[in-house]
Amino acid sequence: MKNYLIQIVEDDPSVKKLLEITFREYEFNHISCESKKNAMMLFLSHNPDLLIVDLGLSDGDGKEFIKQIREISKIPIVVLSARHDEKEIILALDAGADDYITKPFSVNELLARIRANLRRITSDATLSSKIVCGEIEIDLASRSIFFKKEQLKLTPIEYELLKYFLLNTNKTLTHQQILKEVWGVGYQSEMQYLRTYVNTLRKKIEQNSTRPNYIKTESGIGYRFCCNG
Amino acid sequence: MKNLYFSFNHTIYTYILKAVGILLFITLISHLLREHLDIINIALIHIIPVVIIAIHGNIKATFFITLLSVVFFNFLYIPPIYSFKVHNELYIWSFIIFAIVGWIITVQAKNLYTQTKQNEMRESLLNIISHDLRTPLSTIIGTTNLLLSNNNIDKNSIKNLLEDVNYASLRMKRLITNILDSTRLSSKSIDLKFDWCDFEDLVGVAIEEFSDKQKDELLEIKIDDLPLYWGDNILLKQLIINLLDNAFKYSKNNTKVTLKIISFGDGVKIEVFNQSNHIDEAKLKNIFDKFYRLEDTNDISGSGIGLSICKSIVGLHGGSIKATAVNEGILIEAKLPIVKKAALI
Repeated sequence: MKNYLIQIVEDDPSVKKLLEITFREYEFNHISCESKKNAMMLFLSHNPDLLIVDLGLSDGDGKEFIKQIREISKIPIVVLSARHDEKEIILALDAGADDYITKPFSVNELLARIRANLRRITSDATLSSKIVCGEIEIDLASRSIFFKKEQLKLTPIEYELLKYFLLNTNKTLTHQQILKEVWGVGYQSEMQYLRTYVNTLRKKIEQNSTRPNYIKTESGIGYRFCCNG
Repeated sequence: MKNLYFSFNHTIYTYILKAVGILLFITLISHLLREHLDIINIALIHIIPVVIIAIHGNIKATFFITLLSVVFFNFLYIPPIYSFKVHNELYIWSFIIFAIVGWIITVQAKNLYTQTKQNEMRESLLNIISHDLRTPLSTIIGTTNLLLSNNNIDKNSIKNLLEDVNYASLRMKRLITNILDSTRLSSKSIDLKFDWCDFEDLVGVAIEEFSDKQKDELLEIKIDDLPLYWGDNILLKQLIINLLDNAFKYSKNNTKVTLKIISFGDGVKIEVFNQSNHIDEAKLKNIFDKFYRLEDTNDISGSGIGLSICKSIVGLHGGSIKATAVNEGILIEAKLPIVKKAALI
């Protein structure tokens, strides 16, 4: 496995230390900084593979930094937030972050998110018309989706929703993002469409819809489509 | 504030009776002594029942007794006696002053009552912090000190100790969430985010909060086929978490907890059942009160804050919650009315 370089932008010393020790143990290379100002310089000089950004930085909001990065790069960004405030997290995701984790967090969870996000950039590189995720396989060219080798019978919207999930695996998608991409502009607040279709999709691809393996709910924020392996 | 209202309603008849009794007694005394007492003194005596009622802080009761007092006073002492006619308009002013005195005392009494309530809350909060947060905190401090100062602990024990630390910190985290939620819920400026909720989804998210053992072995879930429900997602999730947390805490060792989401009439019912050692039916009524905890369960960590939050959440959705003792266990039922029906897509 390639040694990935992770850039940490965090001003709390104890959290920074915890992250640094974790990355050393799990053989990720890392660089770190405390402020927004240094973060940009470090990013440009080292070209990391993934960013971990704390939302409340001493010299400004992490969201602005995320926006600046998004203008120049598609690098995966995982937001670290002490705030249990869904609004903040949604704003960060809409600003371009791919994923989030709230403090206090468990190291295992953080590593799982980092790995999933790194996996996404590698699979992006080999862009083909076929995407495989667990027992689900989509053929974009023929607009067909297979589950356990059998073709799924899906309505057009179900297909679009599942396709959007499969194109954005392991990424936290806000309700608004999904509604806008799948249903179109103007549907951003039609939550009942989204809830209903997620429910029917789960019935088709999950073994137990209250213990989903693929479509996970991020309470108050959105959904993430998990793809492990 | 709701509680305040109910306690008033409950005792309102007792103290109105008391006041009417006092009023009759006073009238009798002043009637007997009317030759010796000046009209002004009789008026002052008649303000006594008004003051007594006003102390209870109910404005309606205060005005009721003021009216009664004034009627008695007018009928028996103000010339022409034994009639409701008033010749001198000065007396009209006395009536108004009666009412103003009553009103001032009522308002003050109300303030005082809220203050006492707040103090009680503050005290219980301090108790929680001192006991329920300190217990897991002492585990964390003790264990980490042990690990830091002793290098000869074998790997297995280290893992065990660290698991204790992990469990203790998770308990602290949940308690802090609950304390924050409860202050948020009791402040009036709570902003509810009503939206369409899928109960299957809510249950799925809620059970993520529990350990694998609890999820896989100790929990039985049954969810009816339900349409989307119009409610606050985050709060309803918290409702299910708190109900389950409570059930796991008080269930007999290694017996199953059942969670059912049932569709009935024009509402949704959440039922949580856990087996438990015998529980006094009378005590069950109070378990939704803030900081109430069943007396004989002192060793279980938890503050009784969870169920009071459940009550607030159910209340905010216009529903009701109750606990009953059935089949050697506790059954908690939360009924949520449907306020808005989802259009079929």
